[in-house]
Amino acid sequence: MDWRERVAAEGSRGDRTGHFEREFYRGIYLIRRLEETLLELFAAGRLSGTTHTCLGQEANAVAVAFHLTDADVVVSNHRCHGHYLARTGDLEGLLAEIRGLERGLCSGKGGSQHLCAPNFYTNGIQGGIVPLATGMALAEKQRGSGAIVTVFIGDGTLGQGVVYESFNIAALWAAPLLVVVEANGWAQSTPTPRAMAGSMRQRLEAFGLPCGMVEGTDALEIHRAAGAAVGQVRETGRPAGLIIRTQRLGPHSKGDDSRSPEELETLRERDPLPRLAASLDPEQRRAIEAECERRLAAALTATEGPL
Amino acid sequence: MARMNMVQAINLALHEEMKRDENVIVMGQDVGVNEGVFRVTAGLYKEFGERRVIDTPLAESGILGTAVGMALAGLRPVAEMQFSGFSYLMMGHLEGHCSRYRSRTHGHLTVPLVVRMPYGGGVRALEHHSESREAMFAHIPGIKVVIPSGPRNARALLTAAIRDADTVVFMEPKRSYRAFREEVPEESEVWPIGKARVVQEGTDLTLVSWGAMLRMALEAAGEAHARRGVSVEIIDLLSISPMDTETILDSVKKTGRCVIAQEAPLRLGPASEIIARINDKALLYLEAPVGRVGSYDVVTPYFGREQAYFPGVDSVRRAIDETLDF
Ligand SMILES: Cc1ncc(C[n+]2csc(CCOP(=O)(O)OP(=O)(O)O)c2C)c(N)n1
Repeated sequence: MDWRERVAAEGSRGDRTGHFEREFYRGIYLIRRLEETLLELFAAGRLSGTTHTCLGQEANAVAVAFHLTDADVVVSNHRCHGHYLARTGDLEGLLAEIRGLERGLCSGKGGSQHLCAPNFYTNGIQGGIVPLATGMALAEKQRGSGAIVTVFIGDGTLGQGVVYESFNIAALWAAPLLVVVEANGWAQSTPTPRAMAGSMRQRLEAFGLPCGMVEGTDALEIHRAAGAAVGQVRETGRPAGLIIRTQRLGPHSKGDDSRSPEELETLRERDPLPRLAASLDPEQRRAIEAECERRLAAALTATEGPL
Repeated sequence: MARMNMVQAINLALHEEMKRDENVIVMGQDVGVNEGVFRVTAGLYKEFGERRVIDTPLAESGILGTAVGMALAGLRPVAEMQFSGFSYLMMGHLEGHCSRYRSRTHGHLTVPLVVRMPYGGGVRALEHHSESREAMFAHIPGIKVVIPSGPRNARALLTAAIRDADTVVFMEPKRSYRAFREEVPEESEVWPIGKARVVQEGTDLTLVSWGAMLRMALEAAGEAHARRGVSVEIIDLLSISPMDTETILDSVKKTGRCVIAQEAPLRLGPASEIIARINDKALLYLEAPVGRVGSYDVVTPYFGREQAYFPGVDSVRRAIDETLDF
């Protein structure tokens, strides 16, 4: 049962107090722990390839996924583990894939940033998959499926020209496409202001994509903004954008972080996870965490053995 | 003389050329403040400042297109693609502009720029981080494609590339970046682009290789010598385009046998071109079909299966044996 179903089930049992927050927390916490574990595995020399963790950005993935149906398509980038988990809950398939195992969700051929599952696609070529997302959205529209496509990009990826070709095509041909910009302020070692002229929001609006903005320190606020953006695309059948000011709390991939300890400290204060945790009943929170730890341990064992 | 690895040697060439000619500029993603993901551009930003060492947006097509314009207007850009796997986004400029200016202006205008890129496998990476696509670049008329195999030739050839009047794609075998050190002369060296090197003389078989495969070729040849007393002549191609046919033909005419070892997939790769040239000009000297070693014609696999995909010392040794025993 994925977490959307769980929310629905719990809700229907009548005890609605805090159930949504709990499930949201469960979603974020599991991603957080997976990402932390991956960095540990790398540090211990037990993983190769590379990995880009979404530490600090988990809520974006969970918030958007909540508003999507199974028919909707999610397209993501190098920082995709959270998007995948929030969408599918397939922890074991993901872990096996990152470890390059045959039983991974792409038979261990794609690895960390090249996931491919039903209605879920990612690619490590920055911006390269945005026109594909546009095409998918147009196809869904032509087939009359009612599905929408959500594509996640980083703010650094707004440097790629093909992103604007895609905005133009999406608006011109009315593609039901939601562009979610996870603006963490950095592209690898380059701070966004060093690489971006003008206004991020106006870039989308210039092509006629109405663009929401969310500060992103409060998980529920992200959730509401995501709901509005998804709803807009669904209702109008036209493209829209959502810029989430977010924070990457881990290294760009592993061990490569050019930011100062002070800056990282400031960013940690923006982390939505502890806020959400504080709003929960401590006992229920611990139960959720214990369950996530169990799942993670089981997935680790199933794909190789405990750390 | 100083002993250094390939990263340091390339870095040295960049320092020397930027000092020598103030028109030389370095540009790319994370090459400045961060000094490059492989630290190849270390120290440049501090020494030459942000006007000449430029951190670009994430925009490969924009980087190369801008570099073409700069080159046409008098600068000497050295643009970095963070990994060769991201370079395909700039192919339009390479194909559409770089060598065509010389052609359409009768040599009046050229595009003197260098595109540096780490390429190749063997570092347990993932998709887009392991390919050897030198054939793709070399297929474009007028584009020079240079591949060093060690620190000394990397420094000497990059220097030549920066001084060259035309566009040079400079492909750096990343598995060799820190794999070994070598004596690099104090004085700046310029090796001619398009000239191969005989790195070991021999009489029984010619072994042609380049990039990271060269070390494996040397090892396989040493092993074949120890095991069956065969004398192998080894040619380091160094430049895929232009290709030094003469050095290869001279050697093959002498030995009568040839093996080519490349890391790239075999189909339509540089080895195929070398064989065609041997067939054209030295067919009757051959005592056996020319042997070829390369990787498979499939997408480079994720790290777990990398060993099974890339050719190694064993595959070169087998090809030597087969060619000798024909
Ligand atoms: C075409 C391309 N060029 C370069 C890279 C190397 N690279 C990987 S992630 C990254 C930065 C991406 O920044 P952003 O879009 O802001 O996403 P973030 O990493 O901050 O989540 C770069 C330059 C790449 N993957 N693809």
